[in-house]
Amino acid sequence: MPRRPPRRRLFAAFALLLVAGGAAGAACWWPSRTPQLHRPAGWPAPVYDIQRNPPTAAGFALGRKLFYDPRLSQDGSIACASCHQQFAAFAHFDHRVSHGLHGANGTRNAPGLFNLAWQPDFMWDGAVAHLELQPLAPLTNPVEMGETLPAVLARLRADPDYPRLFARAFGPGGDEGPIDSQRFLRALTQFLVTMISDDSRYDRYRAGRATFSDAETRGLAAFRTHCSACHVEPLFTDYRYRRNGLRGDDAGRAAISGNAADRGRFRVPSLRNVALTAPYMHDGRFDTLEQVLAHYRSGVPDALRDEPLLREATSVGAAEAEDIIAFLQTLTDERFVHDRRFSEAASR
Amino acid sequence: MTAALRRRRVRAVAIAATGAASLLLAACHGGDASGLPLRVEISHRVGTQPLQLGETEYTLDDGDALRIDRLRYYLSNFRLRRHDRSWSAAARSDSDARGYVLVDEAQPASRSFEVAGFAPGEYEGVEFLIGVDAARNSAGAQTGALDPALGMFWTWNSGYIFLKLEGRSPQATTPGQRVSWHVGGSPNARTVYLPLPRPLRLAPDIVSTVHLHADVAAALLAGEPLRVAGHEALMDPAGGAAIADRYATAFRVDHVHHEPRR
Repeated sequence: MPRRPPRRRLFAAFALLLVAGGAAGAACWWPSRTPQLHRPAGWPAPVYDIQRNPPTAAGFALGRKLFYDPRLSQDGSIACASCHQQFAAFAHFDHRVSHGLHGANGTRNAPGLFNLAWQPDFMWDGAVAHLELQPLAPLTNPVEMGETLPAVLARLRADPDYPRLFARAFGPGGDEGPIDSQRFLRALTQFLVTMISDDSRYDRYRAGRATFSDAETRGLAAFRTHCSACHVEPLFTDYRYRRNGLRGDDAGRAAISGNAADRGRFRVPSLRNVALTAPYMHDGRFDTLEQVLAHYRSGVPDALRDEPLLREATSVGAAEAEDIIAFLQTLTDERFVHDRRFSEAASR
Repeated sequence: MTAALRRRRVRAVAIAATGAASLLLAACHGGDASGLPLRVEISHRVGTQPLQLGETEYTLDDGDALRIDRLRYYLSNFRLRRHDRSWSAAARSDSDARGYVLVDEAQPASRSFEVAGFAPGEYEGVEFLIGVDAARNSAGAQTGALDPALGMFWTWNSGYIFLKLEGRSPQATTPGQRVSWHVGGSPNARTVYLPLPRPLRLAPDIVSTVHLHADVAAALLAGEPLRVAGHEALMDPAGGAAIADRYATAFRVDHVHHEPRR
């Protein structure tokens, strides 16, 4: 091979450097097409071990397609997204409880989906202890998607597209081919685990990039006095199971723990995006944040004995309640609910 | 870059890649890949008779009668005990389900299996867990014997069903006189230790087998008998505790045998 003159080689090296640098710069400058699990400043470490299932472009896109695909349900009518709508921060807008197959109603309100990598267990009663296993609960519940895991896998294997998409995400696979239950659940997890809501006005205010009105500032202070013992910043929940004075027949946490003392306890939900996730509480009984605040101000005398932290909530004044509601609006993350990477349009 | 330097770099990359690949392989293997396998064979019985699924109606000593349609359960965490009371444990891996066995009376092959990874030597007892240990019971989506698609997984109270015993009984007041006993929940996994009737030897040139008998009647009659009436459907961790306390008594070692490995 003839040796190239040194100057040409220098030029080639320089050009290469430019291209590489440009690519690296672009990667930093543009939001990645595939969201990754990042740890926002000041947040604790996620509990989901991302090393076992690192999101890839193909795996994330497959998880998104599955999330929006009603063929996962027994009669092809209900997708995950049917009850988890992006504009409602993946809660079910305007539904106290959701309707599944054949119009059957559930008994609990569909929660918003975000920051799931930080959540140690799932459902209002903590029935599911691992994010990868969570999709099995609605998938197999007869009043939700009413399907079995083997039937879903058989349907995906017979589909013209899915085998190729699974192979692209996870490789050709063994005797069973590219589709198995672990890959199915891990693809869904790659989509779910990267749904991070960390760019509300509250977050930007904390970072010095936004200002609060007087009411919002007073609301944050009142929130920290009366609410944040359970709705702990920055995730706005302590992920514990607590009683909040609501009367009803639902056994709550006791159905899972088998401990009678857990009767009527439910998981403390995050308040991020709370202005978008009405109706409220485990059974969706309140339509507005005003009703929720009114409940805490006056409706919890029975629960105080078991849940002394509620005493702070009962001492919220009328003006403070208005300020707290003004503050709660700042927890809405417009970028998250409009992020096209999580949208149904992107899933097609 | 000189050709020599380039060659050296290529070599360095190749060495690094080989190293990474072998590390990865080692990580995938886990446990003691060089260990020896133990053969386990299981016969299910009802009292003195072999268990037959379906139409055979067994009358238990407490007067209850039972037809058994399905018997499936997990065994895991096998260990062998030496005469000096030290242990050799079966190989395990975080990346697959080796060491976890789903026994299904309807699948004869599942009642005769190998558990790998034991040290050579002589042993006086065998221990195993009926069920799945707490760590693996909530460890995310898994494969092989622990694939949740096998129907041994609770989705509403997440975790493995350790044992499914389903059948029919004239004493049952349910539609179709159905009896469904599903046991799960980490506290209901039971460790069983069984002394061996004669020493078990593990060596590369022999196939060593422990033959277990599991007696459904013994399990149901242990302690205060579990009556069918009022217990037709036990399908949550609290209800399953009654079964779990009893199924640990169902197993005994019938015999061990050694054959030359061919």
